[in-house]
Amino acid sequence: MRSGRSEVKRRWGGASKLLPLLLLFPAVSFVLVLYLYPLFSSVIRSFTLGAQSPTFANYLKAWALYKKDILFTVEVALLGTFLSIVLGLALACYARISRSRAARFVNSLSRLTIFLPYVIVGQMMRSFLAPHGFLNVILANMKVIDLNSPIQFFNIRGLLLGFLWKEVPFVSFIVLSSLQVVDERYLEAARSVGAKTRHIVLSILIPMIKPAIIVGGVLTFCTIVSTFTLPYMLVTESPTMVTVDIAHRVTYFRDYGVANALGVFLYLLAAPMAIYYLRRMVGEEIYGY
Amino acid sequence: MKRCAGIVGLVLFAAWVALGVPEKVTLLYMTAGDINMLALAQNVLGPMFSARYPEVELRTVHTGPGDAGSQLIFEKLRAEKLSGKETWDVDVAMVHQVFMSWAAAEGDLLLQYAQDLETWQYVTSPHAKYALGTLVEGYVMPMFHSQIAIAYNPKYVPEPPKSYEELVEWVKAHPGKFGYNGIKGGMSGVGFVVGWVYWKTGKYEQYAITGPYNEQEIASWEPIFKELKEFNKYVTITAGNVGTLDALNRGEIWMGPVWVDMFYTFMLTGKMDPNIRLVLPAPGLPGQPMYFVIPKKAKNIEWAKKFVEFVTSPEIQAKVIVEMYNWYPGIDGSYVKDYVSPGAYARLYRDIAPEELRTKGLAFALAKYHTAILEAYEKWAIGG
Repeated sequence: MRSGRSEVKRRWGGASKLLPLLLLFPAVSFVLVLYLYPLFSSVIRSFTLGAQSPTFANYLKAWALYKKDILFTVEVALLGTFLSIVLGLALACYARISRSRAARFVNSLSRLTIFLPYVIVGQMMRSFLAPHGFLNVILANMKVIDLNSPIQFFNIRGLLLGFLWKEVPFVSFIVLSSLQVVDERYLEAARSVGAKTRHIVLSILIPMIKPAIIVGGVLTFCTIVSTFTLPYMLVTESPTMVTVDIAHRVTYFRDYGVANALGVFLYLLAAPMAIYYLRRMVGEEIYGY
Repeated sequence: MKRCAGIVGLVLFAAWVALGVPEKVTLLYMTAGDINMLALAQNVLGPMFSARYPEVELRTVHTGPGDAGSQLIFEKLRAEKLSGKETWDVDVAMVHQVFMSWAAAEGDLLLQYAQDLETWQYVTSPHAKYALGTLVEGYVMPMFHSQIAIAYNPKYVPEPPKSYEELVEWVKAHPGKFGYNGIKGGMSGVGFVVGWVYWKTGKYEQYAITGPYNEQEIASWEPIFKELKEFNKYVTITAGNVGTLDALNRGEIWMGPVWVDMFYTFMLTGKMDPNIRLVLPAPGLPGQPMYFVIPKKAKNIEWAKKFVEFVTSPEIQAKVIVEMYNWYPGIDGSYVKDYVSPGAYARLYRDIAPEELRTKGLAFALAKYHTAILEAYEKWAIGG
């Protein structure tokens, strides 16, 4: 009897060590099966060509055919992120400082774009930015341009406009929540010693919410790098973004090798951001935004 | 006792429901192609088929445009084969030509069924025998044939080019006014590029019909694609098949390759300037059929056959395929003519006569040449 009880106790002791692992099991196995396995298998397949493995053939082909597109993707992602942060910050600071109705209206209106998927944005931009689309026709009516030689937007310009349309409100959304918790007294104190709005924004608000700005930038960068629909709908030729090329390799050639090699380029682009984000979030125990 | 009688009554009622009311057959139809293919199945073919056979309901799954759509169907069937299931989910599917080369390479995916159909006798198209060089006879029934042609705006182009040579001259004289969608945004652009290769090499027969595939030849294409690169400098690259149609309608471009059926559908629905016309420049442009295939272990094989038979009957081909959707019929046009309204027939053949279609309506290149053409374009015309 006694020995039976100690057996139970021993088991329970064991279980208390096992329990956290058991509780973690569903989440960890979910991540392993649905995220890490596809990630590793795509990396491995990028080094495989038929029976050959490992080989760099897929990477050489990807670089030979899509070099321009890879550089273009980096360019769009960096520019898009930078502009989204600058404009998003401006919008958020405006909403934070101004108490006018207009500011509230602009702020809530801009939120709408966060919930629209990129495919809708793509469709809108296609007709809005077309050579004889809404924007060019308006500009022509205002005698700014000649409709026979309209501004071409189905290139980096249109792409950036599309990305900004969605990402500026997103950055502003993230940043504004941090701005809201900045104590009003700091601003009043600054104003009382003669600080102008410019000083308040640059010397007080922005330094205080730096982490939120960086997080907004990281998420925006990763979104731009991985978006397929917008470049697919706006810029189908050269240069275009790598996601379009990946779809092209799979669709027309069923060539998963080169597609995976291109995918690895995107992972490498996103990885530093992801590592930074995770370190920051886990390190500072801030979860979510 | 009462309770017992109640239970017996319930059991009897359940048995009556289970046995007495015939269960509806759900026929699962998977279709590739543009969004019009979904509308066709959901709004037209499904209800018509159910009206004739009330015990069957057509359930449609749409997989998307271009080869990607067929690719999804291929992957679904392949997965079903690999799963080792006795019966498969998909009863009947609508695929592009390229699907057939994948299915042939995979093996054991499809049923040889076409000869069992009553409508097999009406099929005369060479595409029902070979699809991009793959022997497909018996495995496919063409639902329709779709053709690429050059659409032009007579207001700005009073005399459309009759050949690729004339087209190139015109484009150089009118920079930016010819538009096509490259090779990443749909098949009308791909077709234009394939036509370019046929024109420059003069080897249509070898590349599209007889073969054999000669890898050495690909390197000799470099100057051809360099010329295309030069040509592209004078061209507007549009965003997709619809992008070309929209640009034509808005007057941004004056000429561009389009699918004939999409073009007429746009016109009939008021999305295309009704003055725009079509021309098929020499040596011609490719077109392609879409095929019905039946998976080897489909659950409802007999109903699937009935469905294909129904859609390939002269009456449905006339009323739906030609009149409503502006496709060329999948079966021989001579069987269809009696059922089509003269107006629809005249519209379809207004700009491109049947005889012209026979000589200048080409096939896409054999699968390996097709891939080589697309890669050559990326390598030399886009230039990495």
